[in-house]
Amino acid sequence: MDFKFLVDTFFVALSGVPIALIITIISLLIALPLGFMLALTRINKIPVLQRFAQVYVSFIRGTPVIVQIFIVYSSVPLLLTSLFEKYHIDKNVYDINPIWYAFIVFSINTTAIMIEIFRSAIGTVSKGQLEAAYSVGLTNVQAFRRIIIPQVLVTALPNICTATVNLIKATSLGYAMSLQEITLRAKVAANVGYNYVEAYLDIFLVYLILCSLVEYVFKRYEKRLSKYKTAHA
Amino acid sequence: MLEIKNIHKSFGPNEILKGVDLKIEKGDVVVILGPSGSGKTTLLRCINFLEKADQGHANFGDIDVNLNTATKKQIHTIRQKTAFVFQNYNLFHNKTALENVTEGLIIGRKIPKAEANEMGKKALDKVGLSEKYDAYPSELSGGQQQRVGIARAVVLNPDIILFDEPTSALDPELVGEVLSVMKNIAKEGTTMLVVTHEMSFAKDVANKVVFMDGGVIVEEGPPKEIFSKPKEERTKQFLHRVLPEDYIFYI
Repeated sequence: MDFKFLVDTFFVALSGVPIALIITIISLLIALPLGFMLALTRINKIPVLQRFAQVYVSFIRGTPVIVQIFIVYSSVPLLLTSLFEKYHIDKNVYDINPIWYAFIVFSINTTAIMIEIFRSAIGTVSKGQLEAAYSVGLTNVQAFRRIIIPQVLVTALPNICTATVNLIKATSLGYAMSLQEITLRAKVAANVGYNYVEAYLDIFLVYLILCSLVEYVFKRYEKRLSKYKTAHA
Repeated sequence: MLEIKNIHKSFGPNEILKGVDLKIEKGDVVVILGPSGSGKTTLLRCINFLEKADQGHANFGDIDVNLNTATKKQIHTIRQKTAFVFQNYNLFHNKTALENVTEGLIIGRKIPKAEANEMGKKALDKVGLSEKYDAYPSELSGGQQQRVGIARAVVLNPDIILFDEPTSALDPELVGEVLSVMKNIAKEGTTMLVVTHEMSFAKDVANKVVFMDGGVIVEEGPPKEIFSKPKEERTKQFLHRVLPEDYIFYI
């Protein structure tokens, strides 16, 4: 065991954290509202959209993330090349930072998970809450923002936390599109002197620390949000 | 002040309301009686657009709306003029008692927060909950929750408050506190349309009793007339079943 390498590579792996976090945050920013709205289409049985959401979820859930990455990473550049040619844009698709493909894959993937999370969480808030909000003169948007979403979030938060942690771990698959994230950076460092055990141990630690921190933040937030549930006279 | 004309409402093949007309004057306390499934609750819900009527009109003094084709704006206007007290309270679970009461003022009516809090506290004092401003619904008994529900309606100072079986979900021993709050606000001249099974409330507080059955109004009039000399056979049968014998001298 090369301890100097172990320590040095730990920081190499750590330098990949921002990329993993950016992908996670962007994906969540897209998936949370989109998943919520598509979940609503399923609950309110909006004709075409609910069917779309249903098929979408089963397609994404039924395929491994790595395959989704392969598909996006191989098909989107082809699509872009023909688009660039058609509109005479002078840009080489192979210069595009792979992080853009990561945004696409992980947003698509997380949206499907959010649809299912919100679908069950929205079901736990009784219809009477919405009716009461209407009856005191709130508009639809006000009722959702002030009454429904805060209650849905409390129920959904533990599952959103799990999904977020899974998402962070899934960004490790980004190495398949040569994304400079945690796993790839450590692996590249290991290639030089074949110190794979140390490198993998570092990767292991970085993900563990990162995910534990995220879980801690979620726990705190959940506690604050669910104050009204645990309150007792 | 409120005139409802010819409301029809079906759920699938079941016609719940088969043309109901009702006229309510300012300050009236109107109680709707009737067996389950007679359409009382549905009538109330249609007036507040919680259900969309198949046809019918509502005239609120200055505005007349078609209950089937009302625009979003009209619905919003009507809801600003009315308030609703629900059978199972429907307090906002994520808000304290005071926040429940002020939500409609601050968000719906854009009243400044400090002013709304004053109004909210006064409304909660009125229903005897001065000690519970900061309690969440989960910390309140059923009777207390329903009193917050009534305060939430009263504070909006609406033209009319619609009560949908406000005591039906309560333990029998808690019914009294809610009824006495309702009596108090009735005395203050609040216009109320109440669906209830509490005959004592109908007899003592209402100035008009409406008996519904099978989606139509069978009979209506002052409580004295309805309770002591009902004209329709259906009304007699119903009162006979729900009232203790000694009230019905004529049988």
